[in-house]
Amino acid sequence: MNQPLAEALTHLRMGNQTFLINFYQDHRDHFARWARRHHQLELASAHEALRAVLIDFYDQVIDGRLTKLPPDLRAYLYGMGREQIETVKTTAALPVVEASRRQHLLGVFGQMGNDCQQVLMYFYFRGYNFEKVAGKMGFANATVARLQKASCLRKLIELRGRAADGALPGAAAAPPAV
Amino acid sequence: MMSPAELRPYLDELERFADGQMTTSEQDVFEERMLREPALREAFEVFEQITADLRWVAGHETLRHRLLTLDHRLNQRQDALLRIKRRQRRTQTRWGAIVAVLALLAVGLWFFLLRPAARQSGSAWQNYYVADPGLPSENTLDEHRPLLAEAMTQYRLGHYPAAMHALRRVPTDNLGADTLQYYNGIFLLSEGDGQAARPYLRRVVQQSGSPLVRKARYHLAVAYWAARQWPEARAAFREVAADSLNPYRRDAQKVLQANVLRGSD
Repeated sequence: MNQPLAEALTHLRMGNQTFLINFYQDHRDHFARWARRHHQLELASAHEALRAVLIDFYDQVIDGRLTKLPPDLRAYLYGMGREQIETVKTTAALPVVEASRRQHLLGVFGQMGNDCQQVLMYFYFRGYNFEKVAGKMGFANATVARLQKASCLRKLIELRGRAADGALPGAAAAPPAV
Repeated sequence: MMSPAELRPYLDELERFADGQMTTSEQDVFEERMLREPALREAFEVFEQITADLRWVAGHETLRHRLLTLDHRLNQRQDALLRIKRRQRRTQTRWGAIVAVLALLAVGLWFFLLRPAARQSGSAWQNYYVADPGLPSENTLDEHRPLLAEAMTQYRLGHYPAAMHALRRVPTDNLGADTLQYYNGIFLLSEGDGQAARPYLRRVVQQSGSPLVRKARYHLAVAYWAARQWPEARAAFREVAADSLNPYRRDAQKVLQANVLRGSD
């Protein structure tokens, strides 16, 4: 890992996910061998489990559930991997209301079209301004990007409201992409 | 909680305010309105919660997408490496097969072309032939026969033409005719010329009083073999093998036991 471990959490909180991307690149094969030896897990499933672990770890850092980097990060993440495979959860969870609200929005987000998802990710996570969003997405100018983002946000709010009212069966359902 | 329909009338303003699109005076007015209008304040709080959750979702999804993309790229790289390894293995196997086929062809060629030729050239007899050690140097030097000594030295060194040349210059009064003929035959046979060696050795065999008769009989048998005269060779070897006093008796028996005296009679 290029970044010193001590800085990893700070970088993650600032939205720099390179630390986890590098971890995945460096440990993917090793984790797959470990998962096959200890849990008889197929290669693709092991990779998927490690991705889920890293996303969960990221959520823990962002939510403030993890404030200190574990002394042996690999052992910690492999432990989370074991829990992921055995579907056992021992790490701190978010309050139910908050967790369910976020999971609900995540499900709704997944129902949107790729362009909308991308625009919202660029704006709300990466913090790109409208000019940069326009450049990344190939829009004519910043105004188009602003209108596109506004439209996507309205669609998301609409879908969220409909799902909350029970008009949509939930996150698992797959209505046509917006 | 405020429904999307209730939120909709405020969305434009809320978005402009949250995204920093308002001028300073517009912002002041908006903030003042929020203090006075509870509905606007509630809309703002709902909007703030949605965008905060959206930030979390966007981060979560960005990481998921990045990991998926990386996974896809790593899989492609592994597949490519696997393909390269497979191709290398295939090339190695192909070259291995080509080398094996070439080696087999070479062995076949050697067996069908060179081996019979070797048999025809009479090299088989050389494998069994026990050469005469030649006259010991004390016998030749003590009796002042330097040419004979020279002939023997050349013979031992394998220089048969030189040995022959020296032997032919030895005065006949200085050496018995049977010895001269015997070594003439030996030198010629050693050179591989069984046909030329035969008459010399035969003449020695015919001199019943000579001490070289028994030895000459063996070398004559080998000369017949080298000349591919199979019946004569077999008869001569049998004769040597049956003679208990012949120093080459065992060697002749070995040849007969090996059953190598065969050819187109």
